[in-house]
Amino acid sequence: MNNTGVIFFPAFDWAISPTHPEREERLLYTRDQIFEEGIMDLPNIHEFKPRLAEKKDIARVHFCVPNVDAQITAAHLVSAGSALVIADAVIKGEVDNGFSIARPPGHHAMTVAHGNRGFCNINNEAIMIEYIRNKYGLRKIAVVDTDVHHGDGSQEIFYDDPDILFISFHQDGRTLYPGSGFVYELGGPMAWGSTINIPLPPNTTDAGILRVLDNLVLPILEEFEPELIVNSAGQDNHYTDPLANMRFTAHGYAELNRRLAPDIAVLEGGYSVETALPYVNMALLMAMAGIDYSNLREPDYKSELFKEDPRHIEYIDQLISHQLINFRSRQQHIEENIKKYGREYSEHQQIYYDTDGISEDQSRRLRICPACPGWRIIDSSARHRNGKKYHVFCISVPAFACPDCRREALNAYKDVAAYNNNFDFVYLQDRANDRYIALDKAKGREEVYE
Amino acid sequence: MLIGIDVGGTFTDGVLFDHQQSQIMKTVKVPTRSQQLQSSLLEVLDNLLSGRDRAGIQRIVLSTTLVTNLLATKAGEPPALILIPGPGLPFSYLQIFPRTFIVKGAIDFRGRETEKLERQEIEAIVEEIRASGLRKIAVVGKFSNRNPHHEQTIRDIIGEKYPQAEVGIGSELAGQLNYLRRIATSYYSLLTRERWAGFAHDIEKAIQERGLAKVPLDILKADGGTMPLQHALQYPCETILSGPAASTMGAAAVTGQAATAVVLDIGGTTTDISLLLDGQPLYASRGARINENFTHIKAISTRSLPLGGDSPVCYKPDRGIYIDPVRRGPAACFGGDNATITDIFNCKYELSVGEAEKSRQSLQRLQAQANLDAAALLEAVENMVMVQLLSAMENIFSEWENEPAYRVWEVVHNRKFEVKRIIGIGAAAGAIVPVLAARMKADSFIHALAPIANALGAAVARPTLAFNLHIDTEKGYYFTDHDGIGGTIRKGAGLQMEDAQKLAGEVMQQLAQQRGLAEYTGEAEFTREEQFNMIRGWDRTGKIFELGMQIKPGFIKEFEEGSL
Repeated sequence: MNNTGVIFFPAFDWAISPTHPEREERLLYTRDQIFEEGIMDLPNIHEFKPRLAEKKDIARVHFCVPNVDAQITAAHLVSAGSALVIADAVIKGEVDNGFSIARPPGHHAMTVAHGNRGFCNINNEAIMIEYIRNKYGLRKIAVVDTDVHHGDGSQEIFYDDPDILFISFHQDGRTLYPGSGFVYELGGPMAWGSTINIPLPPNTTDAGILRVLDNLVLPILEEFEPELIVNSAGQDNHYTDPLANMRFTAHGYAELNRRLAPDIAVLEGGYSVETALPYVNMALLMAMAGIDYSNLREPDYKSELFKEDPRHIEYIDQLISHQLINFRSRQQHIEENIKKYGREYSEHQQIYYDTDGISEDQSRRLRICPACPGWRIIDSSARHRNGKKYHVFCISVPAFACPDCRREALNAYKDVAAYNNNFDFVYLQDRANDRYIALDKAKGREEVYE
Repeated sequence: MLIGIDVGGTFTDGVLFDHQQSQIMKTVKVPTRSQQLQSSLLEVLDNLLSGRDRAGIQRIVLSTTLVTNLLATKAGEPPALILIPGPGLPFSYLQIFPRTFIVKGAIDFRGRETEKLERQEIEAIVEEIRASGLRKIAVVGKFSNRNPHHEQTIRDIIGEKYPQAEVGIGSELAGQLNYLRRIATSYYSLLTRERWAGFAHDIEKAIQERGLAKVPLDILKADGGTMPLQHALQYPCETILSGPAASTMGAAAVTGQAATAVVLDIGGTTTDISLLLDGQPLYASRGARINENFTHIKAISTRSLPLGGDSPVCYKPDRGIYIDPVRRGPAACFGGDNATITDIFNCKYELSVGEAEKSRQSLQRLQAQANLDAAALLEAVENMVMVQLLSAMENIFSEWENEPAYRVWEVVHNRKFEVKRIIGIGAAAGAIVPVLAARMKADSFIHALAPIANALGAAVARPTLAFNLHIDTEKGYYFTDHDGIGGTIRKGAGLQMEDAQKLAGEVMQQLAQQRGLAEYTGEAEFTREEQFNMIRGWDRTGKIFELGMQIKPGFIKEFEEGSL
């Protein structure tokens, strides 16, 4: 039996739009189920009150264009804040583990935020992780993204961070939004192998997913030795989800969480509001609290309907051995990358914001450092929904940056701020000093969170 | 003329109140004889009535610990429980009480039957219950508040097979969401009904014998409101914790304005702490707790400390000076043997309570034992009292401030309790509350009627009612969490919030008639107005409404607030 902290924040007064999947009704039946069960009355379940995340908590992860206020509503601050409350309770040892059942979700939100992608504006898990690192000094953290969609936002945010192990299993990107999360996406040159993607064929069942868990996810977690495990807990692998095509059950979710034993779970997607969410949320809560879930099932559940396709098993076994090799050879690849790229690695990418219809153009540079994860520059431009085009320059210094990189990054910020007029906004995200600056070039005004 | 009687654990207090003159005509206090509550109660009543014209009596309100005592001593013939839980928590979590039987069948959150009952199984269980000699059966289903059909069917089967049994069903006894609390509330209701009915019958008879048959007789509830005695026959458990309810309403009555304040009821043995927010008592967010089980009984949130004016102050070489939680008779200044908290405050602040000299003597004895000078001893004891009270108060504030929130605006508008005023009631409040208030930089308020504010609170409290209405227009039904009231409604998404409010108003009228509070329905207010569009595919297929409506605690029209 565990002492489990819970925040249930259904945001009954917030929706993206009245008929959008991310609407008031989403957690209504989950509320009914959880409250009717009376699970919150059990002595080992501790319900917490959400709080508002601070803007600084958001600036620690995101470059919000043009500013934090433009990208969020109060609901986003509460949803992110809920994860922070749970994190505090878990890390202070008030509870053994915790589950933030809050909306809106976050795992598609990337470092630069021009708008809403995949129903997400800001990334709740990433905000929570950088908060934990800053406040409690934890360094190595694993995120297991169990949403049916690839957690592309979380992947991108931690892509160059060798201390964050990001594992995502999801329905194959060739068949589902956001169309990424392939096996070859393994992390930036200095963090190679700390991103592990597991694309699964449509109609994969409990058996397939648990096979991945037992033979890939759990072994690499054991080898990585994280100080904290976070489940980015989407619920749309469920067999009734209207936006995806998997065959996972509430019982499977419970089993997954029992075996994974995450310290913190944060709700992500899942849009089968009546036939999945009430049961899956209940399943997760029971599994985390160590309550026997054998009596929990969907009303229409029949075990004989969920037989795994033998071809899936074959594919999954190949995938597992392939990714185990990748993960275990990560040091070797990183050493090769240092030789190959020298001081700097750069790439160019386009990012599409499906909810808001925004196309972002990005050039990214990583300053490679032998002593630390290195600092990043992102040059980004996008036309927002209001028709205005923003061209911004972002400098990000990681939490565990070495003094040289910090100095270099700060100088780079000063240079661009003073002499370069190509940008509308220049941002400095100095996690090492927990100081965040947004410079509005036209007004010549700096906004500082410290 | 109004009569209020509060049968407490130690004393029974009564007050005869002339509401036209806003004047207390008489007060009575007698020790409670816990084995014969009726006799204590009637002694107080007779005392209040003696030499009075009975024609002038317009209302009698009782607050009694009868049910509290029954529950504490687990007296009464226990009911059997037939549960219809369906999937969810393990059955072991539902077996809170002995003689629990679990049957097949399930209803989901929309009120859909997802698993059928099995008649044979039920008949066999009913037979087993009958054979075992149990005469009461509570039937409680998960989500029976969304569809009581299973519960009703089982009740019918019991009616056929075991007509002598007394049956209660969860949807009628406790229809709010939360199955565990519904089970507990249903169980305790059946457990106490019979004994309560006996008590009510005796009281009614006694009242008749005193020529008061026509006077409305009300019972104070845990939520600070009243209900007619007849109605209490169905819901005896609502009378628990009426002592703190009487005190809190009494505090609000004597304060005379919609105050935000802490109420400290400091009696001889215990201190009860509650909060008033704009004149409204704060409720326990999870309902009243009975024998460690949460219930659906709405109750004023109270912290009870084993600390009162008569708590003895003792010394032992290994413990030093300490406050004993067990009362051993009155304070020294009232002829007791021990130095008590009252004596300490009496000496420290020269309050001239009782025979002050006796207080001083008791203090000297203690000083000699502890080998402390008087000033140090007084200071030390006062600090102990303050620390206990302050930490209990902090606790109740922070619990209120940290209650879960489910809406964005509730989180944005964070709550913070600022103590501006402390209302002291109960016999020992006068000595302690001013000191506490000074420490907290708050006003202290102790009315001359503070010692009998509980009985006064009972006399002037008005009836209350709070219910929730759940409407599902896709399925075309509505249900309330009271008495199993529900029905059908036009299907589709056409229903508007105004229509839903109108329906709630009609339910309020219906419930108010049965509960004798028709004249207060004009003051009913909505506590919750939620509307959810149901979207299936991209179409709106219906709406779900969740409405809460209440007649909140307050005072009867005859009582003029601020008149005391």
